[in-house]
Parts: sequence; structure tokens; C-alpha cells
Amino acid sequence: MGKSHEKLSNNLEEIRKAAGLTQLELSESAEVSRKSINAIENGIYVPSTVLALKIAKTLKCTVEELFKLR
Amino acid sequence: MTFFKRFLVLFICGAVQVFFATYLLLELLGFGLAWHLMNHDMMFIPGILVFLGSGYLTFSYYFLSDKRANNALYDEFNALRYYKLATAGYVINGIGIFVLYSMQDWSNWSFELANNMIYQIAAFAWLIFGALLVWFALGDLRESRNG
Repeated sequence: MGKSHEKLSNNLEEIRKAAGLTQLELSESAEVSRKSINAIENGIYVPSTVLALKIAKTLKCTVEELFKLR
Repeated sequence: MTFFKRFLVLFICGAVQVFFATYLLLELLGFGLAWHLMNHDMMFIPGILVFLGSGYLTFSYYFLSDKRANNALYDEFNALRYYKLATAGYVINGIGIFVLYSMQDWSNWSFELANNMIYQIAAFAWLIFGALLVWFALGDLRESRNG
């Protein structure tokens, strides 16, 4: 489980690495800046629903696999 | 358009605003510097820069950048950075107006003093706007280095 934003935990970094993608590659697929991906992975930023769905689609997983409430 | 180019545009606009607003605020508060702007038309420079800068950013968004660059430059994380700074601006300006209001000489209140206070508030808000523009630009510089 990656770093969390208060009660939200995320697995983004692990799933992204397992998919063999860099932050930049994922950001281009999800149509955001690399900084956004970095901020999400570090729990600094909670993405919008649309962005979460785009990331999940790129990584071929569900949003629930990426983010979890503790 | 890149993060570095946007940094340059915003930093120049912000830094020039900070310079002129600080000069104006010091003059209005009675802490005038030893030198003076001889040509007061120069006070239009920050406004012209903001006009040109925002025009260039808008033009580049629609005509000079591709979708990939725009996605990175104007994504929701950057929007959040902007909202946070705007909120800070409201708070600092609110405190500033309160302080400036408290500093006035109410026992000898006159139209001249009222006029001066309005200018002080405007100069302070201008200074904060410029400072926040510089702060936002520095975020772009960090991103251009890390990206």
C-alpha cells in the first residue's frame, strides 16, 4: 500500500511499476502532468473521478484496486 | 508551450508587478524611496505585461501547443495549485485591508486620507497578486526541472 492522504490509501506506484510504465508514460496516457501522477502516488493529491478512471483504464485495473479507504 | 516558457512569462509579469506595487505602497505609506519614477506613464508597464502575457498564454493554448503539452500544463493538479494560491490571496488581502484600515488617522479624517487609503488597499492587493504570480511561476520552474 502506498502513502496515503488521510484515510485514503493507494497502490498506484506498485500497479504502475507492475505494468512497466514510468510516471511520464502514465501521465501521457491519462492526459495529465507527470507531477499529478507523482502527487497522487505520494498521497499529496486525491484525483478527480474522471482522472481516477482514466488511470485505472490505462493500467487495466479497477479504481478500487488503485484506491482504498482505510 | 512548456513549463519553463510559462515560468518565464509569469515570473516576468509577477516580478515587475511586485516592483511597481512595492514602490507605490511605500510612497503611499510615507516611506518614499530616495529616487522617484520620473515618468508616471511607466506605471502602465505591469498592466501591459499582464495583458500581453495572458494574450500569449491564450494564443499558445489554442494555436501553438499540441494536446499533450496542454494536458500537462493545464491539468487538475495545476488548477489546484492555482486555487490554493488564490485562496491565500483572499486571506492575505483580507488581513492587509484590516491592517491598512486600522493604521489610518481617523481623528483627522478627510477625503484626501480616504482617497489615499483606497490607493493603499489597491497597491497592497496589487503587490499580493504579483507575489502570488511569482510563487505560481516558481512551481512551474520546479516542474520544468523535474519533468
